Amino acid sequence: MSHSPSDYFAVFGIDRSLALNLPELQRQFYVLSKQFHPDRFARASAAEQQRALDFTSQLNDAWRILRDPISRAEYLLKLQGMEPGDSRTNPPPPELLEEVFDLNMALEELRSGDTHARDQILGALNRFLALRDQLDQDRDALFVRYDANRDAATLQDLRGLLNRRRYIENLVRDAQQALS
Amino acid sequence: MAYSDKVLDHYNHPRNVGSMDKNDSHVGTGMVGAPECGDVMKLQIKVNPETGIIDDAKFKTFGCGSAIASSSLATEWLKGKTVDEALAIKNTDIVNELALPPVKIHCSVLAEDAIKAAITDYKVKQGADVSALVQAH
Repeated sequence: MSHSPSDYFAVFGIDRSLALNLPELQRQFYVLSKQFHPDRFARASAAEQQRALDFTSQLNDAWRILRDPISRAEYLLKLQGMEPGDSRTNPPPPELLEEVFDLNMALEELRSGDTHARDQILGALNRFLALRDQLDQDRDALFVRYDANRDAATLQDLRGLLNRRRYIENLVRDAQQALS
Repeated sequence: MAYSDKVLDHYNHPRNVGSMDKNDSHVGTGMVGAPECGDVMKLQIKVNPETGIIDDAKFKTFGCGSAIASSSLATEWLKGKTVDEALAIKNTDIVNELALPPVKIHCSVLAEDAIKAAITDYKVKQGADVSALVQAH
């Protein structure tokens, strides 16, 4: 390691891309972990020891971020200078808002002791889980599209998708909490 | 972070909570949300067909104290205004009235968006009514 890698993709020696082969990434993680394990530098100079330690810590961060498709996408968006974006640039679709509103009403009813609301919440939870699955499929398609085109338009779409997914994720959590 | 007295007042005694029949042709419904915080806000106006003045306004907001206060205040301001006057309400008016801190400005933006969405829905309905009348003749 003559100089430290510029980003987490470079740590693994790959381009900034999204559709990663996870088993291959994991294999590479083990190889690099072994190669730069601090124990192997026990007799090296203090400067080399420090470099190995720095790289290992960067490698761990890189693996943590890149192995998860969501954090990987968020990381790449940030690298490309795209902030998460607010609701003005990515307004949620109206039919989703209706669902969110109805779920919140049902949660409120459940809290006030109306047990009938449970069925409604369960139904909403299942719809949100299905929606999340669909978004994950769409996300994988966008990953492939980005790697092929490297275009800003795909990143915009991806950013919108991640915002919607975060929204759904919060709703799933609220519904599951209420039902547990 | 401390809420201002005005926010607390609206939060503890929200004005005009409730809902109106969204299928009523004189009712406009605005539903807006902010994915980043999970807030969702429904705001409705009822317009008097003779005077064009907003007779009634209702809201229901799931969100933080500032979001509830912003929409509560919005319904208070909407009542008695014409639709065009209502369109002139800016989020900065809400920020100033409630002394919202910078991190809560998006709550006031949400309320302004809700007002605009409700008015748009009302106008679309009126347009639809007009075309129905034309067809009837």
